[in-house]
This record gives sequence, structure tokens and C-alpha cells, in this order.
Amino acid sequence: MRVNECESMQGAGGDPWSSAWERAARGPVAVVDCREEIPCNPCEEACARGAIKVGEDICASPRFDPGLCDGCGRCVTLCPGMAVFLLDRSHGKGVARVTVPYEMGGELLEGGEAWAMDEDGNALGTAEIVKVKRTGGRTGTLLVTVEVPEGWALKVRGVRDRLISLEAPEETDAEQRERDYHLCRCEEINVSDVRGQAGWFNSLRALRRYSRAGLGYCQGRFCQDLLRRELAQTLHAGEGEVGAFKVRPPVRPVKLGRLGGEDA
Amino acid sequence: MPEVSSSEVVIIGGGVIGAAIAYYLCKEGAEVMMVEEDDLASGASGACDGFVSLQTKQPGVHLDLARESVALFPELAEDLDDDIEYNPCGGMMLATMPEQLKELKARAKKMKAAGLEVEMLTPADLKSRLPEVGKEIKGASYCAQDAQVNPIALTLGLARKAQDMGAIILRGTKVENIVVTNNRVREVHTSSGSIHSRRVVCAAGTGSNQIGKMIIVDIPVMPQRGQILVTEPRERMLDVILYGAEYLGTKGGITELMPRDEEAAKLGLGFTAEQTASGNFLLGSTREFAGADASTTPEAMNAIAKNAMYYLPWIKELDVIRSFAGLRPCSPDGLPILGTVKGVKGFFIATGHSGDGICLAPITGKLLSELILDGETSLDIEPFSLYRFK
Repeated sequence: MRVNECESMQGAGGDPWSSAWERAARGPVAVVDCREEIPCNPCEEACARGAIKVGEDICASPRFDPGLCDGCGRCVTLCPGMAVFLLDRSHGKGVARVTVPYEMGGELLEGGEAWAMDEDGNALGTAEIVKVKRTGGRTGTLLVTVEVPEGWALKVRGVRDRLISLEAPEETDAEQRERDYHLCRCEEINVSDVRGQAGWFNSLRALRRYSRAGLGYCQGRFCQDLLRRELAQTLHAGEGEVGAFKVRPPVRPVKLGRLGGEDA
Repeated sequence: MPEVSSSEVVIIGGGVIGAAIAYYLCKEGAEVMMVEEDDLASGASGACDGFVSLQTKQPGVHLDLARESVALFPELAEDLDDDIEYNPCGGMMLATMPEQLKELKARAKKMKAAGLEVEMLTPADLKSRLPEVGKEIKGASYCAQDAQVNPIALTLGLARKAQDMGAIILRGTKVENIVVTNNRVREVHTSSGSIHSRRVVCAAGTGSNQIGKMIIVDIPVMPQRGQILVTEPRERMLDVILYGAEYLGTKGGITELMPRDEEAAKLGLGFTAEQTASGNFLLGSTREFAGADASTTPEAMNAIAKNAMYYLPWIKELDVIRSFAGLRPCSPDGLPILGTVKGVKGFFIATGHSGDGICLAPITGKLLSELILDGETSLDIEPFSLYRFK
């Protein structure tokens, strides 16, 4: 792929991908493909080097500076929309390595093969899995690195287990997801978890205590309204009657070192 | 609920103590009603860490009580339907000054004499057992029987099991008055009706003062604030509960172990750290008398963070996502108040557990159940009588 082709594809923040493309020749770098203007900013907090900025307006598209990125992949893990991947062109030979998040079942093993998928869910073809990195935390997100022809480098958005037949999508999974979904993304608390606990509390604060919904990284900034609506509905109460979370400092996550007086 | 009901026993308070009493009473087949003003675990039981610690107890009756209690946790973990995240991981108390180390050694000896195995660890031992510790750490005392538990899950688990066995739990119900006639408890008036009962237990934590007033008995419990920091969840990094020696100083008023820093002493600062089953680190804590104010303060948050870095330098890289504070029901000597009340038959007290409520809940529930149903207890609770203060 040529650079001017890349330039026509831009991150929604207006950062041309050409700079990331160039930077990828020296090693892994993040490519941010976030086009939805939704209230979401874990990528900004994920980046220790300040390469990703969302800013005051939480709906703004992230602005990304490839020069600051060290390719650690934390943003890839934490982006709930799976809108970030890593690109590494340093291995030459007309191949590129692409690192994408993987949160589904099935076995992906280093040295094995996976389907490389494009953004519409179509298989581009098979690709060699060169690295599978288990990230910490509750989500168990895997960072899967596949080697693909350079021409696919900016098209790969995901991988699928090679053993899963692509002709028969997992309908049961999809059906289940439709019935049940996360109300709290940070702690992965589903609507069924909340309904299952009903009868044991009257307030949003108790719901949080018992289910851990709203106790994660965002501390309820994203999920409180959803939880309130769900709880009020479950209890047949007004939304005003179930109360609100108690807001405790810090208002945003802060490094413990900084809180303890060390300069960031 | 009907406006007038009756129950063999009424428990006032839906915290870990009330839930434990309800559980053990129901096991004996008693008819129980638990009355809670707010939701379950809405007071101190829902705003604390999960330490189940033996080596912080004072040798003597306090330690004996705690040992009996800790012995009950494994069977509770088995019997309750909720996962209470009980983890018998052991606990280490870290000393940063030579005199602290000396005091810890002396304590370990006393503990051993009392039958509790506490071993001393050198900095080299620590290296192999912990992620990096601060340079100032001179050694530690280790108690293999220390453990951790999820306090909220414990409270809920006990209450749910009690309900399964027939207990009636009234949430959002405030006790307004207790009727005593002919020196005996007869009736509890609540915001949702009155309950006839000849046996009433006060397990109201920091609200016990108020309940005592209804029968004209002074229950000396003061709210003591403890502030705690919560970090982002991480993979398992710490499988032991940790305290600094100064924690014991501020807890037991032991001069040799007090923090040197004046500001820290004022906050009653003592280092504690545990990693919960969900991966978050809980870092504590303070002991302050601030009335009913359960807010967290910037001074305390800064002090806790600074102190935690001093013990565990690597922890500075973690994100702090929350702080919280709980009001511990603190008795004048820090020991629980258990037993009956002179002149009011059928009234029982189980409160004032200070910072030990989670650890002492099982034995408190068991002993109170014995006291209420049989009139005597398997362990002498005279040392915890309300009348020791006079």
C-alpha cells in the first residue's frame, strides 16, 4: 500500500494515518480508528505517555500523536469499541504485524493460524499468529498479533479462531447477548445480574455495593444513568426514588504516586 | 408487613453483626426478625477492608475471642451460598524502625505463649515472599492464620442464609421506640408497625447509642472514621494481608509503635494493604474522631498514598480510582460490648466492635445466639460486659 492511499483514510480526529504508517516502520505503533463520536475516553487514561487526547469534550474523537507512542498496547486492551490496533512494519519482507484485541472463546495459540477479519466482519484470509498476550484485569482481553501481507495492514480489525466455521455464525451467542448485556462495562455486570439481585436493596448505592456495578474504572460516570433506569424499572419505582451514587474523590483516576506527592 | 406482628427475637441492625446473630439463631431454629433502617451493610460493614487478623489483637480475652471467630470462617465459607471470598492467606506486619522490630518480637513471644504461632521474618525472607518492599523495612512478624474476606459478601451471605432458614428481614425500617414493662422488653415500635417480642438485640453499630437511649441505658459507642483508598484492579500481585507496625500503635495506643510524624499520628494513620478477589488494592487507613462525617479528606488521602509508597514503592504506578470512609463503632477500650443489661430483661447488646467487626462477627453471632436461647455462653463474655466501663 502506498502512503497517499493511507492519507485518504484518516482517523476521525483528523490525524492522517500516514504518520503512523511511517512510524510503524520502526516498530509497533497504535492506529486509532475511532469514528463514533460517543462519550468515551478510556484510551486517554490508558496512555501513560499522553499520546492520546480526548480532552474536555468527552464526545470528541481522540487525537493521536504517533511520535509519543511506544506501542505498549494498553489502549488496544482498554478501548471498549475495539477501535485501536497496533501496526508494526519493522520486520520488512512485505509483511506487517497487526495486534488486535480478542475477547471471544476458542483457542488462539502462538504459531497457529487465525482468520484475519476486516471491519465488516469479512475474512480477509488466514494469518499466522505470532504472539498472544494475556492482559491483566477482569476482562481477560487477549492481545493477538498476526502477520499479514502489508497490503492488508490497515484493513485487519480482528481475528477469529480458525476452528470456528465462518459459514455458521454463533447465533446462540448473539441471541444471548441480545437478552443480556453489560450495564457496567468496567466490572462487566450484566442486566441479568442486576435483576437477579432485586429484592435485596432499595437504592442505587446498595446495588453498587452488592453487585459491584459502577465500582470500576469509570466509577459510574458512564453507567449510573443506565443502572438507575434499570433499577427503577425493576423495583417499579420512580428514577428519583432510587437515589444516586455517592461521589468520592478522586473524580478521575490518579496515579497513587501523584496522590502521595510525587511529581507525575 | 402487617401493622402488628410478633417474633421470638428482634435484631436491630442489618450489618455484619446483626446478620451473624440472625444466622446462628436461625441455625438453632429460632424465629427471627431483623430490622434495618437503610439497606444491609450500609454502615461500617460495607465501608471497610476485609482483614481477618489475629496478630493485631491484644493477647488475652481479645485474642481468644478472635481465634474462636477465625476458626468459624472455613465452615461459613462452606455453608453460605454466596461466595464470601474467604482466603486464608496469612498476614505480615512490617516494621520500619528498630524499636518497632523489638516490640514486634516481644509481641510474637507473648502470642506464642498464648498459643498463636507468630514467626519473625528478616528482610531477606520478605524478598522471597513479597514483591519489592521499601528500603526502610527492617523485618516483619508473620501469622499464617490471618486471612481476608469480602465483608459485604459476608454480610449478605449471612443474611440470605438466615432468610432461607426463615428469618424476616425488614429493610428501610427505623426503630422508633422499645417498650419495657415490668423490667422486660415487650415490644419494638418501628416506622412500619410494631413487633411484639420478648427478646431484642442491639447490633446497631454506631447507632447503638440511640437505641440504648430508648431503654435508658448508656451504650458508649463513638463513631471512629477510617479512610481507605481503592486502586484499579490488577492481576494477583499480593497474596497476603499487610500492615505497618504503626497500625498496631494507633489501634492499641501502643506508644512504641506510634507513627513519628505528627500529622500521621493526628490522623491515626496506620498502613494496611490487601488485594481483594476482584483485583483492587485496598490501602488504609486512618482512625479519626470526626463525628458522623463519613467523607474522605484530601489530607488523609495524601497521607495514605505517601505511607503506602513508603512500604511498597511499586504501588505508586497504580491508579487510585476511589476513596471511601466508614464509621467504626468504637468502644472506650476498643473491645466489643457483648451481653445483657441490668434491669431490662430480654435486651442484649452486641456492638462496639471498633475495627474488628468483620473478624469477630462469626463468634459474636454464635455467642449471642447461645446467650439468647440458653442464657449461657461457651466462652466467658464477662470481660466484654457493658459494666466494665464503670
